[in-house]
Amino acid sequence: MEAVVYICLGLMFIFGVLAVMFRSILKSAIALAVASAMLGIIMYVLGSVWAAIFEISVCSGLITVIFISAISLSNTDKQDLAKLYEDKERMAFLPTVLIISGVTLLLVVTSPAFSLPAAVPVAEAADTLRETLWIHRQVDIWGQAMVIITGALTVVALFKERE
Amino acid sequence: MNAFVETAMLVVGFLLIIAGCYGLIRTYHLLKIVIGVEVAMKAVTMFIVLAGFINGKAALAQTFVITVIVIEVVVAVVAVGIAINLYNNYGSMDVRNLKKLKG
Repeated sequence: MEAVVYICLGLMFIFGVLAVMFRSILKSAIALAVASAMLGIIMYVLGSVWAAIFEISVCSGLITVIFISAISLSNTDKQDLAKLYEDKERMAFLPTVLIISGVTLLLVVTSPAFSLPAAVPVAEAADTLRETLWIHRQVDIWGQAMVIITGALTVVALFKERE
Repeated sequence: MNAFVETAMLVVGFLLIIAGCYGLIRTYHLLKIVIGVEVAMKAVTMFIVLAGFINGKAALAQTFVITVIVIEVVVAVVAVGIAINLYNNYGSMDVRNLKKLKG
């Protein structure tokens, strides 16, 4: 199982960085979807099954559809995009920044002072998620419902046809 | 699962946050800014799951992840709506055009 986590972690990192670096927004959206799918697999391996299902279906599916819809609604020429944003030049330093940060983080985590606590085995029943969500975090559920309604109303307001 | 996997996840998560923030501050395209935010949020989601795994409280971590996913979707939907509105008004999704709005 560790090999699966390593492979998915590596792919998630590569596609996450590519999502930021690609000049084409379509390619960025697809790279983001692949990174989300890899994160979903990692979640599944770590035992967060329901969160993995949400991640793959919502983040990897719905958000990609939203981005592709936005791209299809706008039809700016690629030449104009290149002139306007110059993302290629702007993103040129990202690999250097990541390498420097990666080396610094590796030095920190390999120092003797750094140690993560050992993982505690999961001692919860299978239906604890339902209990936690609907009993202990019931107020948050109402908050989430309000956020979703607010988002829906905002989209209705933004897409309203002008008279 | 050994501690090395958890450390690797920590390092990759921080690097993804750095990549997302870099994309956030170095581009003017609204959709690419949202993609930068999404990349950083992926790392945060992974940290929550990792914390739940280490503490043995996977159910609590999952409820937080579901909350994060809901917020992520609403942020993406509203930002895309603003981006399309911006495109309809100015013909591009450059965030510098937001300065020209009234108010």
